[in-house]
Amino acid sequence: MNPDTDTIAAVATAPGESAIAIIRVSGPASLPIADRIFSCEGTPASQRASNSFVHGRILSKDGVADEVILLIYRAPHSYTREDSIEIQGHGGSIATKRILRSVLDAGARPAEPGEFTKRAFLSGRIDLLQAEAVLDLIRARSDRAATAALEQLSGRLSDSFGKAYDEIISTAADLEATLDFSEDELPPTLLNGVVRRLQQGEQHLQDLLDTWDEGHLLREGALVVISGKPNVGKSTLLNALLGIDRAIVTPMPGTTRDTIEELLVIDGLSVRLVDTAGLRDTDCEIEGEGIRRTRSALEKADLVLYLIDGSQTLDPVDIEQIKTIPPEKSVILVNKSDLPKKANTPSMTDRSVIFISLRSGDDIPFVKRIISEKISTHCMAQPHAVISERHRTLVLSTLKEVSEASRLLQNDPPETALAASSLRASLEILGEATGRVYHDELLNNIFSRFCIGK
Amino acid sequence: MTTPIYEVLIIGAGHAGCEAALAAARMGARTALVTMERQAVARMSCNPSIGGIAKSHIVCELDALGGEMGRNTDYTGIQFRTLNTRKGPAVQAFRVQCDKDAYSRRMLAVIEATKNLDIIEALAAGLWIENGTLRGVITADGSKIAARAVILASGTFLRGVIHIGKKQFPGGRKGEAAADQLSASLIRLGFSLGRLKTGTPPRLHKDSIDWNKTEIQPGEEPPPFFSESAREGRRLFHVEQSRVMDPTSTPKNTMFHVEHCPSTLAPWPPGSDQMPCFLTHTTAETHQIIRDNLGLSAMYGGSISGTGVRYCPSIEDKIVKFSERDSHHVFLEPEGRSSQEIYPNGTSNSLPEDVQVAMIRSIPGLERAVFTNLAYAIEYDFSDPTQLTHTLESKNIENFYCAGQINGTTGYEEAAGQGFVAGVNAVLKLRGLDPFVLGRGDAYIGVLIDDLVTKGTSEPYRMFTSRAEHRLILRQDNAVFRMLPFARRIGVLAESSLARTERMHCQIEAELKRLASTSVGGQSLAALLRRTEIHYSDLPSRLDFDTQVVDQIEVMTKYEGYITREQLQIEKARLLETQSIPSWIDYDQISTLRFECREKMKRIRPESLGQATRISGVTPADISILAVIIKRGPIARQS
Repeated sequence: MNPDTDTIAAVATAPGESAIAIIRVSGPASLPIADRIFSCEGTPASQRASNSFVHGRILSKDGVADEVILLIYRAPHSYTREDSIEIQGHGGSIATKRILRSVLDAGARPAEPGEFTKRAFLSGRIDLLQAEAVLDLIRARSDRAATAALEQLSGRLSDSFGKAYDEIISTAADLEATLDFSEDELPPTLLNGVVRRLQQGEQHLQDLLDTWDEGHLLREGALVVISGKPNVGKSTLLNALLGIDRAIVTPMPGTTRDTIEELLVIDGLSVRLVDTAGLRDTDCEIEGEGIRRTRSALEKADLVLYLIDGSQTLDPVDIEQIKTIPPEKSVILVNKSDLPKKANTPSMTDRSVIFISLRSGDDIPFVKRIISEKISTHCMAQPHAVISERHRTLVLSTLKEVSEASRLLQNDPPETALAASSLRASLEILGEATGRVYHDELLNNIFSRFCIGK
Repeated sequence: MTTPIYEVLIIGAGHAGCEAALAAARMGARTALVTMERQAVARMSCNPSIGGIAKSHIVCELDALGGEMGRNTDYTGIQFRTLNTRKGPAVQAFRVQCDKDAYSRRMLAVIEATKNLDIIEALAAGLWIENGTLRGVITADGSKIAARAVILASGTFLRGVIHIGKKQFPGGRKGEAAADQLSASLIRLGFSLGRLKTGTPPRLHKDSIDWNKTEIQPGEEPPPFFSESAREGRRLFHVEQSRVMDPTSTPKNTMFHVEHCPSTLAPWPPGSDQMPCFLTHTTAETHQIIRDNLGLSAMYGGSISGTGVRYCPSIEDKIVKFSERDSHHVFLEPEGRSSQEIYPNGTSNSLPEDVQVAMIRSIPGLERAVFTNLAYAIEYDFSDPTQLTHTLESKNIENFYCAGQINGTTGYEEAAGQGFVAGVNAVLKLRGLDPFVLGRGDAYIGVLIDDLVTKGTSEPYRMFTSRAEHRLILRQDNAVFRMLPFARRIGVLAESSLARTERMHCQIEAELKRLASTSVGGQSLAALLRRTEIHYSDLPSRLDFDTQVVDQIEVMTKYEGYITREQLQIEKARLLETQSIPSWIDYDQISTLRFECREKMKRIRPESLGQATRISGVTPADISILAVIIKRGPIARQS
C-alpha cells in the first residue's frame, strides 16, 4: 500500500436514489486513466484544458458503461491539488459502479475512507486549523469502515475469504519451507499435489467472484417478476415496459397461461422481465401448471412488481400474496388510478406502494425508475451481493497471483522461489481484506508444521 | 591513568565482537577488544560450520562490505557445499564445515595483525558512566578503560546458566565463567532484559564411531567460496596449475603440486583436501529412551524458564512435537583436521549424563561412542533489541551499542552481521558522519536489524529467506553489487576490490542493454536468453566475460519481470521509509491515536513511518494520522 502517490478513485456522491452520481479520481495517473476509458468527440481528455468539461461515454469491458460529463482538473487546481478528474454519470448504484469499475480496471485503486480529504490537507489545500478535523475524520471513518467490514466479514464472506486465505497460506508455507530447509529435514511428500491444491484455491476465489459479484446481475440480468391476480394489467405492463406487444392482452382473466420472459435494459442494467399467469385457484390443468411456474419465479425474483386493480376493493387474497414476498423485494403497483379509487392500502405501510395508470403509458418512465432504484438499492444489499468493489479488486488480484504460482510450479523444473513470491503477493492482498498479517503467520505456519534443525 | 582513550571498545570477542573490532579499526579508529581469554577469540561454541540457507547470504554481504567472516571460513574450511541447487538462484546458499581451532587461530592472527586494534584480557563488569555520559568500561578488578563508544557483544555470557539434566552451574560457555555483574549494570541503567535458552549436542571421539554404519557426504568440487579473496586465490591457483603442467608428463602426474607455505592466515590452500561428513539417524529405541526420561531433561523438567529455539530444536523437542516420526537425521561433522572430536548435529539436549550416553548409543554407528563433552542447554540474559536504533545504538545511552546474541539472535552469521554494523556506526557517529543503515530491500543484514529493533523477539532469532520480502533481489550471487555503494562509503574494503566490482557492474549493465537491443532472427537476444533451456554460452552473439558476470546476466535476464516487480515494491516502500518521524512528536498529545498504538510507539520509537507500519498492531489509519501530524509540523499545535 502506498498512500501518497497512487491514483485513487471513489464514488463521491451519497449512495441511493439520485439523478447524478459523481466518481472522483485523483493522482498522477488520472488523465491517462481518462484517456483509457473515456471516449468523446475531438481532443482526448488529457489534451484538454484544466477546469473544462466534456461530454462523452465511459467505456467498460462489456461496452458502454454510461453517458457522462467529464470534468478535468490539473494540478494544483483541484481539491487535492493533484491531477484529478470527476465523472458525472447517471444516479443509481449500478451505472455508478460500472463507471467506478472501469476506472479501477484502468489502474486506479479504491480510495480509503477520508483519503481525498487527507490528500487535500497534505497538499496544503485545507487550512492548518482543520487538521484536527482531518484526524478525527480518518479515525472515525476508518473505525466505522472497520466495523462495517467486520460485520460484513463475520458472515459468509468472512468464511470464504478465510477459507481461501487458509488454503493459500498452507501451500505457501510448504513452498517456503522447501526453500528455507534442506530436503532431508522435510517430509518427502511435502509438495505432492501442491498444484492441485492451488487450483482448488483458484476455484474457490473464482466461486467467490461469481457468487458475490454483482456481476451476476450485470451478466444475467435482475429477475423482475410481474405478479398479481388475473386481469389486473400484468401483460399490459409488460408490453408497455418493452414498448412492443409481446403478451396477448384480452379482457379475459387467465389469458396468460405460461410465464413470459423478456430481456430489457433499464438505466444500463439488464432486467429479465417475467410476466406470470395470474394467481387464482383453477381447475384448468394448463393454467394450474402456469401458476406453479409463477410461484417458482416469485421465489427466485430479485424484485416483484405486484399489480393491484385500484378500481376494485382490495382482495384479502392480494394481501396474503403480498405477505409472502419480502418487503424490500416488492413494489405494489396500484393500477387503474385513473378510475375511481376503491382499493385501500394502509395495511402495506412497510412496502413501496405506487399509484399508476397503464392506460396512457405516461407512467412507464416512472415505473422504470422505480425498478432501477429498487434493484440498485435492495438487490445489491442482499448477502449474495455484499462484496464491494474494493473486495472484488482484491479477489481478482489474488486470483491472478495464485494462477501465476500454479503455472510456475508446473514448469520443468518447477520455479519454486518465483511461485512462492506470487503466493506471498496473493496473501498480502487477501490480508488487506481480512486484516491478517501474512508475514508473521507464514513464519508461524512453517515452524509449527515442520521439524527443522540443521 | 596509563591506558589510552579508545575511540571504540568492544566487550566480547565472539563472532559479533570480532567483526565490530575489525571494522572499527580498519576505518582507522583506535579500537580495543576486551575478552576474558585471548585464545577464545571467534570460538565456535556450537556447530563447527558457517553458512546455510539465508545465513550464507549474510556472510556474502559481509564479505562484500569488508567483513572477515567469509574469508576466515574459506581459509579454514574443510568441507564446502552448495544448498538448494535446484530451487532457483535466490535461495541458493553455501555451507562450510570449518576446522574449529584453525578458525579461531586465524581470526586471532588477523586481529593481531590489524593496526589500531588492541586485545585486552579482562572481565567487563559494567559501563562507566559519568553525568549520564558514557566514558568507557569498568572491569571486574575495578579498573576503568576509557572509550568514547562501547559495543556490547557478550553472547550468552550474561548470567549464563548451564543445564545438564537436573545439574546446573553458572557459565557463559562450557568451561568458561559467566558475566553476572554486567547484567546488573545494564538493569541499573534501565535496560530491559529477558531470558533465552539454547543448547548444544555432545561431542564424540572420532575413533569410537563405527563409520561403516553411516552414509558418507562428501564436499563439493570445485568448492564454493564466500569470499572474493578465496575466489581470487583459486583463480591464481589454476593459472599456476596450467603453467606447471608438463605436456610430456604421464597422466598420473596431473596430480600437480603447488607450493604452499602453511601459515595461520592460510593453513592450507583454500578448499583443498576436503573432509567428508557422515549421516546416521535416530531409532525407535532412541525415541523410547528420550520419552522415558523427559522428566529428567532440564528443558522438560521445568528447570529452564527461558524461551528456546523452535527451528533448531533439541532432540527432546523433536520427539515430543513430531511424535509421528520414527526417525530423525543425525549428521556427524568433524570439528577439524586434527581434532579428535565429532559434532553429532541433531542431538542437542539437556538430559542427564547417563541418559545422554544411552540415547546416543542407540544410534547406528554410535553404539560404542565415547563422549569428549556432554550436551548441555544454556540459559542467558538478552537485552530487548527494541531498545536500539537501526545503527544498533542504545536509545537511552549515547554511543553505547549492542550486537550479536545479546540482542536475542542465534547463529554466528547473524551475530557477525550485527557486529559489523555496530562497529561501522560507532565510528561514523564519532566522526559526525551519516549512519550506515541497510534497508530491507538492500540486504539480509538490513532485514535482520529491522526485525530486531522494530519487532523485538521472544525466541532466539534466526535468519530465513522467508523473512525477506524481496527475496528475489536479495540473492547471494549479487551481494557484491548490492553492497557496492555501501562498501564504497564505509571504506573498509580495498579500493582494488571495489574497482573490480564496479568494472563488472558496468559490463553487466552494458551487456544487458546490448542483449535487449540486438535482434537475431526476429527476436532480441534477451528474449532468447529468457528461455529456460538457453544459456549465455548458447547465444549466437556473445562477449567474453568472467563467470560471475555471465551468471548475473543470465539471472537478471531470466527473472527480469519478477525482479522489476520487487524493485517497484522497494521503491514504493522507500517513500514511507524515508519519511522520518521527528523528535518533537509527543505521542501522548495525539488523542486520535488509539491507546495501544500510542503505547507501542512510545516504547519502540520508530525512526520512520515505514518502520512504524511494521510494528505489530499498528493500523493504516494510525499511520495516516501520524503522517498528517508530521506534515502539519510542531508549530500548529500552539495556535
